[in-house]
Amino acid sequence: MTGEILIQQPGNSVVTDLGRTRGPRFGLPVNGALDQYSARAANILAGNLDNHPLVEITALDFRMKATTDILIAVTGAPLTLTVGGRPASQWEPVSVRAGESVSLRGIHRGLRAYLAIHGSVEAETLLGSAAPDTVVGFGLQLKEGTTLLTRRSVGPVRQPYFDLPLFRLGLERPSMGSDLLVDVTDGPDVAEFGESGELLFTTEYAVSGRSNHIGLRLGGELPERTTTGEVLSRGVPVGAVEVPSREELLVLHRGRGVTAGYPVLAVVTSTGLDVLAQARPGDKVRFRKTTVAEATAVHRRSRAQLETLRESVNTVFGLLGIGCRPQWQDLPVAACS
Amino acid sequence: MSVLTASPTEIYESGDSAVRVVAISEASEQNWLTVHGLANWLENCGAEGLHGAVPTYDSVLVEFDPLLVSARQVRAFVKLGLLELAHADESAKAPREFDVPVVYGGGYGPDLERVAEHQGISVEEVIRLHIEKTYTVRCLGAPAGSPMMDGPAFPKPVPRLKDPRLSVPAGAVSVAGRQAVIAPAMAPGGWCVIGQTPFSVLNIRREPLVPYKPGDILRFRQIRPEEFSDYAGLELEPLEPGVQP
Repeated sequence: MTGEILIQQPGNSVVTDLGRTRGPRFGLPVNGALDQYSARAANILAGNLDNHPLVEITALDFRMKATTDILIAVTGAPLTLTVGGRPASQWEPVSVRAGESVSLRGIHRGLRAYLAIHGSVEAETLLGSAAPDTVVGFGLQLKEGTTLLTRRSVGPVRQPYFDLPLFRLGLERPSMGSDLLVDVTDGPDVAEFGESGELLFTTEYAVSGRSNHIGLRLGGELPERTTTGEVLSRGVPVGAVEVPSREELLVLHRGRGVTAGYPVLAVVTSTGLDVLAQARPGDKVRFRKTTVAEATAVHRRSRAQLETLRESVNTVFGLLGIGCRPQWQDLPVAACS
Repeated sequence: MSVLTASPTEIYESGDSAVRVVAISEASEQNWLTVHGLANWLENCGAEGLHGAVPTYDSVLVEFDPLLVSARQVRAFVKLGLLELAHADESAKAPREFDVPVVYGGGYGPDLERVAEHQGISVEEVIRLHIEKTYTVRCLGAPAGSPMMDGPAFPKPVPRLKDPRLSVPAGAVSVAGRQAVIAPAMAPGGWCVIGQTPFSVLNIRREPLVPYKPGDILRFRQIRPEEFSDYAGLELEPLEPGVQP
């Protein structure tokens, strides 16, 4: 059964997904959820595919209600989650009855939260992705009164005794706070910075308020290019660390312009980009050098945790009949005792 | 059948999800053909985990999913692609041509006089040099698939604006350094805007979103300001082969 979600207080929220991987070849940035781990986790906890459209909520409070019973999961930065006025857990599936308000308040120690709805929501796509692109004017920025069509209703799943949380899936949550450690690998143009490139690893940088999904601006001691001359425009990777001015370090994130003419000093790792996605203005950032091989290993370990989570969710949802016929009757009696 | 001799290349690590391949021969045309040929090959090779390739002038950024392939495997794909280029038939891809009407100067090209003054030539001469050239789209750049082209035969490179504009309208025709471009979408910009085309370039309801691709040919043509509205709502489209504008 389909239903509607009514946005009562949008804060700063959009419908997005994991990004437009086919975009860069056409000159469009990849965009999509800035904290990819949290976005994937939210969708997995809601029983969705990783790349299903979900809501990204940045910094400000958010409230919505649904016309049908739904199942949701909220991940990302710590916040106060209530459903129908009752406290509910982040990083676990949460059952919501028709008409109940879902409220996300007081995002802290991080910047972005993710809200996935079982069965996902209807969203237009561009080059295969629902992710907003502010430059070409595509995407769904939520406003008060926006309605989202949900694809699947889920009957109430609730602990009959005292409404204790039903799920304890125990996913490792990313650590958050105001002192961030970000892993980088040497960039393709590291040689152009000579010895001053080492400043990147000995300086504590402060996140500027002018940071956004395109890039983070960081104040602190700046490495300096030792070569001169125009650089031909080249494709720049997400995570590129550049020094475009004498004022700030620029770390490009998923909304970055696809080509640019600045030398790339270093590149933030995939997991480091998730850390930066949660950086608040004023937070401190230190960079740590790693290798591509080590960064890949760390990334693969974190994705393996999500695969374990997916298996747990599939098992639990299968037993409860979420998205399928309940299977708990099929269990041998001994398993239930 | 024209056969391309690929330029020698260097491959640079660019994080855990991309590598940069740079063509390093002395011949810039050969480098450009090499990186675009390689990008096309990578797009079509069907390797799992390759997101895509972003070719520009002498380099191509190859993006991939580090869960499915490693940087080392991607290097192997790149080397295979470069070998395959020698067998690719480039003759099938005849460039398409585009006619781009432009209103120069005034509110349409606020930097036209500044460019003329810096070059030490007249405004009319700037326009003449801009129209005279036949442009090849070198690559699609930011923002929104802008056609990056080698610039007109001006006496010297055009400096970028000291204070970039917060907003440059769609259709803006600009120059900077030794390059020329049209803006498909409104965006901030530091290039000198010398004119504007009334054609709409970007259409997000269509795929591809912009009508040209690297290798296609563009020519600019001057129109009067009062003609601008005659083109309202029209999209930039390739000319029929053999048709003169």
